[in-house]
Amino acid sequence: MSLVSGPGRGGGSDSALPQELQLFVDKHVRYIQSLDKRKDELEYWLTEHLRLNGLYWGLTALHLLGHPDALPRNEVVDFVLSCLHDSGGFGAAPGHDAHMLYTVSAVQILATLDAFDDLEARVEGGRRKVAQFIANLQDAKSGTFAGDEWAECDTRFLYGALNALSLLGHMDLIDVDKAVDHVKTCANFDGGYGTGPGAESHAGQIFTCVGALSIAGRLDLVDRDKLGGWLSERQLKNGGLNGRPEKKEDVCYSWWVASSLAMIDRLHWIDQSKLTAFILSCQDPELGGLADRPGDMVDVFHTHFGIAGLSLLKFPGLAEIDPI
Amino acid sequence: HGVSRVAGSQTRSDQAREKELQHITRYNELVELIAETQYTVEVLNLTTKLLTENPEYYTIWNHRRRVLQHLFPTQAESASLSSDSHQTTLDLITADLSLTTSLLRQYPKCYWLWNHRYWALQVGEARLQVAAARKLWQGELQLVTIMLGADSRNFHAWSYRRFVVGELERIPAQPDEAIHSKQSQSMTEAEFAYTTKMIKANLSNFSAWHNRSKLIPKLLDERDSDDAERRHMLDNEFALIHEAFLDPFDQSIWYYHQFLMGTLSSRNSRESAIILDLTDNDQKRYCEQEINFIKEILEDEEECKWVYEVLLQYSTSFPSLKGNESVITSDDLREWLSKLRGLDPLRNGRWTDIERTLDLQSKGLVSQ
Repeated sequence: MSLVSGPGRGGGSDSALPQELQLFVDKHVRYIQSLDKRKDELEYWLTEHLRLNGLYWGLTALHLLGHPDALPRNEVVDFVLSCLHDSGGFGAAPGHDAHMLYTVSAVQILATLDAFDDLEARVEGGRRKVAQFIANLQDAKSGTFAGDEWAECDTRFLYGALNALSLLGHMDLIDVDKAVDHVKTCANFDGGYGTGPGAESHAGQIFTCVGALSIAGRLDLVDRDKLGGWLSERQLKNGGLNGRPEKKEDVCYSWWVASSLAMIDRLHWIDQSKLTAFILSCQDPELGGLADRPGDMVDVFHTHFGIAGLSLLKFPGLAEIDPI
Repeated sequence: HGVSRVAGSQTRSDQAREKELQHITRYNELVELIAETQYTVEVLNLTTKLLTENPEYYTIWNHRRRVLQHLFPTQAESASLSSDSHQTTLDLITADLSLTTSLLRQYPKCYWLWNHRYWALQVGEARLQVAAARKLWQGELQLVTIMLGADSRNFHAWSYRRFVVGELERIPAQPDEAIHSKQSQSMTEAEFAYTTKMIKANLSNFSAWHNRSKLIPKLLDERDSDDAERRHMLDNEFALIHEAFLDPFDQSIWYYHQFLMGTLSSRNSRESAIILDLTDNDQKRYCEQEINFIKEILEDEEECKWVYEVLLQYSTSFPSLKGNESVITSDDLREWLSKLRGLDPLRNGRWTDIERTLDLQSKGLVSQ
């Protein structure tokens, strides 16, 4: 897209672009910065069980927007480490039980901030401990991963585990082949993947399974044309993407679907400029942030995935993102 | 997801703000109370209160399970098979099922709610008499049927349904019976009939079609179907879809057609197989038959992009169709591609790739 003037200027207030093609970088940065200051809103407390995820989404979005320092690094690291349990797992917030979902977010944040040394400094053998927590959640029989001791298994956790362990440099602690075998059992006739064997193809699960296969170096197992076809059909007339047939568009699928397509070299099978326009239309131009679709309430989850989608589509001014 | 932005909703009156702050204080006090105290019924009730307000607070669900584990009769008490201890366990489990049922009505897609149900049922099976446990699972089948009636695309419910069916197939119906054959308790026929019901109610039910695609191979194996019966099944399924061609704009039917055609491919796995003794001639016959059926749709409806897409897709993936000018001419292919580009410009990138493949194939440059 040649619409924006020069690098590092993704939008801002002085662009000559029509409003619907601008990315309101400053607004989004301020929106993300404001999130931790809303302690007088009930919603803040009702979402405490997502805090570490939210932090990851916000921080990553800021990095993509070119404002990596908008959240103070040391405070972020302190907060992340305050969620660490003796078991090596992280909870969503201090006092919340350890779980794969938040452990993965924690590792991703530490990796983004180059803070593994901070972890080691405070917890001896920290990296290994965290890696072991994750590895212990692999089911020896099926190869899949549980979220915690309560044993819910889902391909989301499998992907999270491989992602985090590859960042920690400890893939050696798990049985990668078995994990790959499990992903195979989740494959469907349409080329897609579900939450577990027998489950319907869903864009979110496709992202996790293809991502996992990608990390494990086994993309050869994917039927690229079939899956690419299924994924490309997620694009609706308004340019947005849905997650499965007959469902509504949602900006978060700009990431799940688009990065899946990118991983199998089929990103050109959708109309990228229409998708870009759709994502931009999900912005709240006054308050900042992005919503699931135009006119809805914004939140940091959709803000992150919308911006990640734009980065994947090479929207000017955004840092480049790796599809995995 | 799906919450509309209301203009000016960010400003609150001082009164509203004060109320919210009080709510926050009470909420946090509740959290602390739960964290501090013992595993008692009082705490259980506190968790009920908190979880009703925020069912996504997974740590509290964990704590609730720990409390319940303490409240369940001990191994010794259970071993004595006193009806009191059995009743206590049953009451506790039933209460949790009740709680999650009412919450599921409001939050039908909340992972944590479904998880707690899985846990409660598994604990029930471990601790209760077989008949009581089985009754609980049957209740679960009813629940999940209701939920799918409300939203037939809820994948949590479909996953849970498959799980429940698996459990009912496994837990003996007659408690004193020795290990019986899986055959006698299989629910595959019933589940297959269920998908038929759902599809007849609403053709666009991709989830039901998907489930059906997983059941058919299993069904054929369980019925010990011979080759003729297997062909009969495939023919019936194709016939179902042919009927549905009356509304060719429904994408679910095309995906299911893709499944059926997929079973004819030499790359199809045994566990997704319908016909086991497929010859090259069979494949040729089925392919030609289906192409002709699909081409017929064009006589009444020329603007449906799925028709062209599917025709092109099959042309490129079945050896018996490639270069088979009696069924599909190069002119056909060119015309379909051009129609597709016009009807579905969003996916132009894909159509270009398909065109390239076709060109290369016709030049003999690409191997099968």
